[in-house]
Amino acid sequence: MMHGWRGDLLAVGRGAAPFALILIAWALVTRANVLPAMFLPPPADVARTGWDMLKDGSLWTNIGASVGRVLVSLVISVPLAVGLGIFVGLRRRLSPVFEPIAGFFNSLSGIAWLPLAVTWFGLGWVSVIFIMFNTIFFLVFYNTLVGVRSVPRIFEHAVRTLGGSRRHIIFQVLIPGAMPNIVTGIRMSIGFGWRALIAAEMIATSTGLGFLIYNASNFHQTDTILVGIVTIGILWLLTDRLVLQPIERWTVERWGLVSSSR
Amino acid sequence: MKASAMPVVAVLRHRSVVFLLVVAVAWGGWELFLVTTATVRIDPALQTALRERAPLAVAITLGFAPENFHIRLFQSYGIVSGVRGNTVLVNRVSPDDLRRISRYYWVKRISPQSESVQ
Amino acid sequence: MERHWEIVSTWVLILAATIAAWSLGAATLPVPDYFLPPPSAVLSAFVELIAKGMLPIFVAESLRRIVLAALLGLFVGVPIGLLLGVSRVTADFAYPVLNFFQSISGIAWLPLMLIWFGFGERTILVAVNYTVLFPVIFNALLGIRSVPQIYVNALRTLGASRWRIVRDVLLPGALPNIAMGVRLGLAYGWRALIAAEMLVGANGLGFMIFNAQTFHLTARIMLGMGIIGALWVVLDYFLLRPLEEATIARWGMVQR
Repeated sequence: MMHGWRGDLLAVGRGAAPFALILIAWALVTRANVLPAMFLPPPADVARTGWDMLKDGSLWTNIGASVGRVLVSLVISVPLAVGLGIFVGLRRRLSPVFEPIAGFFNSLSGIAWLPLAVTWFGLGWVSVIFIMFNTIFFLVFYNTLVGVRSVPRIFEHAVRTLGGSRRHIIFQVLIPGAMPNIVTGIRMSIGFGWRALIAAEMIATSTGLGFLIYNASNFHQTDTILVGIVTIGILWLLTDRLVLQPIERWTVERWGLVSSSR
Repeated sequence: MKASAMPVVAVLRHRSVVFLLVVAVAWGGWELFLVTTATVRIDPALQTALRERAPLAVAITLGFAPENFHIRLFQSYGIVSGVRGNTVLVNRVSPDDLRRISRYYWVKRISPQSESVQ
Repeated sequence: MERHWEIVSTWVLILAATIAAWSLGAATLPVPDYFLPPPSAVLSAFVELIAKGMLPIFVAESLRRIVLAALLGLFVGVPIGLLLGVSRVTADFAYPVLNFFQSISGIAWLPLMLIWFGFGERTILVAVNYTVLFPVIFNALLGIRSVPQIYVNALRTLGASRWRIVRDVLLPGALPNIAMGVRLGLAYGWRALIAAEMLVGANGLGFMIFNAQTFHLTARIMLGMGIIGALWVVLDYFLLRPLEEATIARWGMVQR
């Protein structure tokens, strides 16, 4: 208890040390002038560019666009996917039919939808949302379906024997039983979706972090690219720390189960 | 003896192993097919020129109008100097590259250039 | 057996209904032809692209790149992850770095690689191998670190050598994580490959569907998507899932 904050500080220090070392190595390499600045600008230049972009708001605009797209796609796809996944999973005849179909669309997830999206919706945010929807929906749908199917029927029978209604079975047996899989699906869909987003933004839009770094490469603005890459990494670490890990911990505590595939 | 033979059979029946074997056999058969049919696509008039090592000017006839893809592919073997209908004219193709081109199953005929241009 | 038959017949039914609805939609909807080509157009695109020799070359190019990345992941990524994981000091040091770099997809590095390596094959290969390598290294390290210290201590008390501990405890304990890392890394890598081929490629399936879009050859796009999905299903079913199943069944780490 007493050493709690010291332990935290130590942990942060230990986590930051490797990055500090990378920064130093990076600074030394650029100082040695072996590479032209266009290839690898010194960290100080990148920090200055990042600070300028924060001040003039351009970085915030692009962060907002990317994060906004992720959130909108999640809000549209996740409830639909969970709902349909449970609906199909409940039907013991339908679910083995739909499982491989969902599996196929899973393997197609992400950027492969882009050409079709652009054909149908043109360049713009609708295309990006369409790509994200397909990526997130099928991953969550598939995992929900598998989750509902993996709940042992004996629990269902037990509740029914005790006089439980269909509602009871759905809300107190199947959904909790499928929860670890649903959470795994959502977790994976954020990982795949975030990656698809960066690629899609490069081609199909004129805002967002993907566009920012791709556009910067056309003008050989290596410092802007590095600011974008670091921002993407930090955003992912924050998502992981603040959203995904708490959800997972909560699922494990609540239902005491960990799904084997993360 | 029998006990030690069992795992081998089990390994051979594993779906990954079966898959890889099928892929290897199919691929090998396909390559064999391409190599054996390759010489048929080369005009007999070119055979003597092939034995010398000098680069050749050839007319490659396809069964369809060439797309950008085909032009670019031939460009990597020589210098594409023109397209006449379904025929692509390629200059400075080395004999080795010519044999490689003849392995493409979609190439109909490779002939000396002077003949097809007229 | 009968149940199996039931599933297959339902698939055929769904497939037939989808094709019928799709054909009807393509024929009646008031949209330009390129918007929704009928299923028959996708089939004839398939025949055409094989007759013209393009499809086999595109498929071969994409497969060559992903197989290369898979081999690099297995024979370079896994050993690196294991080596880093064996020592507590290197593991503590490498963990945050690997976590950071594996979270950035190879595609995000693509703009930088374009400047470094130019517009071409080298950039595609670096992007795909990066995308595969980091999850593989990261999960191999995680696997080693997730083996309970108790097992290591138990063997050490019994006088086992360091090599013995690595071979009999750490490596088997890490296998499920390694298999998972390889599968996840390749799943990310396959998508990164398609994206990289779209952005800088001159061949491959990603290039094929992206190029088809600029010429409004929508049937080719749909065909390409079908092949991209089918190839992954086949590779996953025959090569990647057995890897995961084998390690989990063999080492009894099922956690479901």
